[in-house]
This record gives sequence, C-alpha cells and structure tokens, in this order.
Amino acid sequence: MDKSLKAAVIGTGVISKQHLSFLDSSDHSELVGVCDLSAAAAKYAAETFHAGQAFTDYQAMLAETKPDVVHILTPPNTHQKLVTDCLNAQAHVICEKPITPAYEDFKTLWQLAQEKHLHLIENHNYRFNEAILKIEEMVKNGTLGEVQEVEVRVALGYREAGGRFADRNLPNPVHKLPAGVVHDVITHMAYLLLRFMPEVDRVAAAWSNHGGGDLFKYDDLDAILLNGQQHARLRFSCYTKPECFTLFVRGSQGYAETDLFQPYLRTVIPRAGGEQLSPLVNHFVNGWDLMSSSVKNFRNKVMQRTAYEGLHRLLDQTYAAILHNQPMPVSFEDMDETNRLIETLLAQENRV
Amino acid sequence: MKLFITGASGFLGKYVVAEAVRQGYTVKAVVRPATDASKLAWADHPAVELVRLDLRQGRGIAEALSDVDCVIHMAAVKGGDFYDRFAGTVLTTENLLGAMTTAAVKKLVATSTFSVYDYFNPPANQVIDETFPIESEPEYRDAYAQTKLIQEDLMRDWGKANGAVVTLIRPGMIYGREALWNACHGADFGSKWLLIGPNALIPVTYVENCAEAIVLSVGSAAAAGEVINVVDDNLPTRRQFTQALVKRTENPPQVIPMPWGMMRGVSSLAWFVNQQLLKGKARLPGLLIPASLDARLKPFRYTNAKAKETLNWSPRYTLEAALDRSVSNQNLLSDILAKAPATPTLEPVAQG
Repeated sequence: MDKSLKAAVIGTGVISKQHLSFLDSSDHSELVGVCDLSAAAAKYAAETFHAGQAFTDYQAMLAETKPDVVHILTPPNTHQKLVTDCLNAQAHVICEKPITPAYEDFKTLWQLAQEKHLHLIENHNYRFNEAILKIEEMVKNGTLGEVQEVEVRVALGYREAGGRFADRNLPNPVHKLPAGVVHDVITHMAYLLLRFMPEVDRVAAAWSNHGGGDLFKYDDLDAILLNGQQHARLRFSCYTKPECFTLFVRGSQGYAETDLFQPYLRTVIPRAGGEQLSPLVNHFVNGWDLMSSSVKNFRNKVMQRTAYEGLHRLLDQTYAAILHNQPMPVSFEDMDETNRLIETLLAQENRV
Repeated sequence: MKLFITGASGFLGKYVVAEAVRQGYTVKAVVRPATDASKLAWADHPAVELVRLDLRQGRGIAEALSDVDCVIHMAAVKGGDFYDRFAGTVLTTENLLGAMTTAAVKKLVATSTFSVYDYFNPPANQVIDETFPIESEPEYRDAYAQTKLIQEDLMRDWGKANGAVVTLIRPGMIYGREALWNACHGADFGSKWLLIGPNALIPVTYVENCAEAIVLSVGSAAAAGEVINVVDDNLPTRRQFTQALVKRTENPPQVIPMPWGMMRGVSSLAWFVNQQLLKGKARLPGLLIPASLDARLKPFRYTNAKAKETLNWSPRYTLEAALDRSVSNQNLLSDILAKAPATPTLEPVAQG
C-alpha cells in the first residue's frame, strides 16, 4: 500500500473545516475530492483545502476519484445511504456522529463493512483530547483508585436567538433525531462515560423540553446510570452558563476533572506529605496548573487551536492504522456500546 | 411590472420594498417563514404580496418566480460565523439563481458592497469608482467580504451563462435608524468610541437614498448590466459624521480620536509579529489585520457620478436631514408609502 491514502469528503458544513484542515496537512492522506449539493460550497472547500476536484454528485466522485477513505460529514439522517454506497465503492468510511439515528441501522452498516473487509469509524474525537487521555492514564495507572463516579456535563446555549438550532425558518435536521438537539452531543457524552464506566446495568433518564414549543423535542437531559456500586450522571442543559463540556471522574483514591471547552486538569489525589499535607499540596499544585491553563488557553485561542484538537489526533491514528493494518483507535465495541447506550437512554422503560 | 425582492424585511430591504411601491411597481416581498411582518408597514399594501421563503433551500423559489419580471436580490447574512454567512449569502444566491433559470427570469439587480474592493494595495486617497480593483486576496479579509466576493462571482457567471442582465449595486456604508454607529467611522469599545482617522471621508449612504437608487436601477436602460457604486453627496469626514451622531445620541460614548497612521502602524506591527514569529497562525481582531483595517478605515475619496448619470438619481436626504429622520418617531415606511400611486403604474420593461 502507498504511504498515503486517497481521501474524499462528502458534506462541507461547519465540521468539515476540521476534517479538511487535517487532510490538507497530513502526510497520510491525499485529498482527491470534495462533494456538496451546493456547487459553490464544494468549489470553495476544494479551493481552500486544495482538493483535487469538487463534485455535487457523490456517486460521480466515488467513481472518478476512487478514494480509499471517505469522510461523511452530512446530517445524520443521510448517513445510512451514504455509508452504504461508500462501502460498496470499496472505501473505508469515517462518519460524523451519530453514525445512524437508530442502533439497528448501525449494526447493518457494520455488517456490510465486515463483509467488504473495510473499516467503519464513528467520530469519537473528544476521547482523544489531551485532558481526557491524561485522565485515562490516571485511571489505568491507579492514581485515582477504582472508578466510583463519572459525570459528563454539557451546557450549550442551543436555544439562544440567532443560534443554529433556534432558527425556526429552516429547522436544523438534528431536530428530527430521536433525542432532538441533545442527539448532537449525546454520542460524545456516551462514549466519554463508557471510557470510565464500561458497563451499565441500570438507567433512569429524564428528558425534558423546559422551553416548550414544537421546534425542540428536548432541551434538557438528566440521566443517572449505575453499574453495581458505580454511579454516573449525564447532564445536558441549554440554560446554565458558561457553556461547558466537563468530565468528573471520582475514584476510591481521588478525583480528576476537566472542561474540554476551556481545558484544564484538576486532580485531587494523595500527595507526598501524607494525609495532613495533601490538601495543601493539592491546592497549590492545582492552583499553579489552573494559572498555567489560563495562559495556555489564551494562547490556543489566539493560535486557533480549538476543542477539536482530539479530532486531528483521532484521524491521524486512523489513517496510520489503515496504512499499517493495525487496530482502529475507535473499535467496533466502542461504537456498539455507545450507540446501545444512547438507545437505552431513549428507551421508554428507562424514562422518569 | 412585478419585482421579486429578497431580504425584504432586512435593514435595507424594507425600504427598498416601500420605495418600489412608491415608484409604481408591484412587489413580491420575500421574507423568512418565521418573520414577524406586523411592523412592516407595507405588509398589507395592495401592491405587495408577502412571500414566505427561506432561500437557504431551493424548494418553492421557482414557483414563486413564475410571474416575476425582475429580481432585486438583497438577502445576505452579516452575523454568525463563516458558515452561517456562507449559507445566508452564497447558498441563498445559488438557490435563487437556479430558480431564476428554471422560471426564465433574466433580469437581476443585486446589492453587493464596497467591501469587494481591494483597499490594501492601492495607495491612499485615490478615488474609488466602479473601475477600482477588486480584492484578489480574500483570505485576509473578513467573512462578509469573502462571501460577498463569492456571491458576485456567482451572479456574474450566471448572467453570462444564461444571457441575463445582472446589475450590481455596490453601496458604501449604509446608515439609518437601526444602524447609525458603524465600523467605517471607528471601533466600539463599550463606553468608548475609537475614532480612527478623523479627517478621512466616510463613504456613507442613507438607507432611504440607497433604496431609491436600487429601485431606479430596475427601470434604467443605462444601468442594465452595469456595476454602480452608491454613496451620498457631500460625504462627511469621520469626525463630522461622529459629531453629528453624538449630537443626536442620548448617552453617546466617549469619543477618542486616533490618527490613521498610528493605527496602521500598530496593525502592521501585529501583522509582522504574527507572520514572522507565529507563522501567521494567530487569529487577530480585524483592526490588527492590515487588509481588514484598510477596508474599513484607510483614507480614500469616493464618487457617485455613475449612479447619478445612469440612474438619474440624486440623494434625497442630506446627512443632517437623514439623521433627523433616523432619530425621529416618524414611521418612515408609511411616509414613503404615502407618496405611492393608488395603483401600480409601471408596465413590464423588455428584458435583455
């Protein structure tokens, strides 16, 4: 196999900038085509990110460019057909989340990918953010002890006037998904939770539409998940400020927390100095880390490094894995459990 | 003669509809589906048919164009991120042009902007007329300029491909009741107003003056297929414009003058540091990007000779009169409509 893979992109909306900037700069890929229903959008993306050609017909792009990998970045209700057609064209597929609105549809696609000996990857980008990787490492090396509690909290002003999801003129396709706008982030919330609490045996999920009206199906989720004595909470709100994407992992020895939107890492663990001095050392160390994070975050903002840093890491690992025939960074189990958990959260019998 | 006016409920659009009625046209006024039309004085006028469409998707546009003689296209988006603006400015235009082809409408008057000109390379104090060079490096300009440049290209290409008449109106900075303090005479810092380059002329046009010019271009044979800049007579300096606003503003900001050369020096230094030390990756505010700063505030001179000649137009309101109208309690749309004929008077003009 060549050292780089021919890549193509379908869909040039907001998230495409992150995928295309990776493909434009990676040594592992050659961007051979970009496709969008809008000729102007396809042309703009192709010119900006140096793609070989722009298309408005994805079938024509598949036939002409014969890509090794296709990134599907269109609204979720289009994924089933696009993924199927790309797999049938013998291309590996990297698909934005949620890969399908329903779990059963994901399994159908996975079956097809297996039959074709191709890879199918759902974007689990935040798993690959630096802070998440560090917390994973702390769990693995026992710094936090046994994981007892996990909380994933997302606050986004989706209802704010002028926002993409509050537009009543042309309702965003996400409103038609089973979880409405919460479906836009629930994949991220689910896979992050599952990294730290892989099994779930009881679920109670309160889905609400506090703001009312017929545009939003839900604008709030408060879910409690248990596995034996492990507890977890998934919390989505449109009404709390500031916007955040926080993860708390509490173990038998200590805890770690981060906010992916304003990254920092706070760890409260046993420190040198014993039980008496650990609180003092924790405060001092975390204070210093917080100050450093503020400087780093400001620098990242100026330098246009965003919370999508994990996406480039994921894509880089994915392309390397395809090229070298190694295991995918996002496995079937990762996707299967994530989509199953979302289905469980939405199940009528688990609602409160 | 029936006009199809997009962006009809916008800042400029609502005056263009009223002016079109005043000039004797029948109007199909396009507003978004969720627009509250109750404050549009012309919504129930017998010469106006309200058409609810979102041009970001193509459904229904060609049907709505079936009995139309000419399109005045003003729909654009000035807020949100690049992708919001692309959808609101470029995709809308692409969909409209496709529908015009289907409906065989071959006359288009489109509102562009002074922002499409290149302000960086030409020396200061030149006269900006319709032959002035167009921006050739849009990547250094803001999203508004970038999307308007793409939009102009689309319209020109469509005109050539379809043998249609495309008239481009490029207004300077449009001011009026809803937009008095603007980016072309300084920068807003909360309670402070940085008056950059106080002695330079400001290329303004009062919204009612501009609306009249746009509608006049529909019936002007001399304007057909031309590019026409629209600015008012006797342009004020930034200092004069600011002083006139301060006089009419209840709690005006503190105005802090800053010489143009000083601001340009700061901007150039920031640009140099970004390019040399940060490899151009830092995201700077527009004032610190020389190409963007120049587009807003570099001293030039302006002419409206072509507009006056081809449209037989003369700005109706002086700066003082325009500002007095803007801060008055008068219903300006009703005032325009009061001068309209009882029934539409203008017959369709030959196309092409």
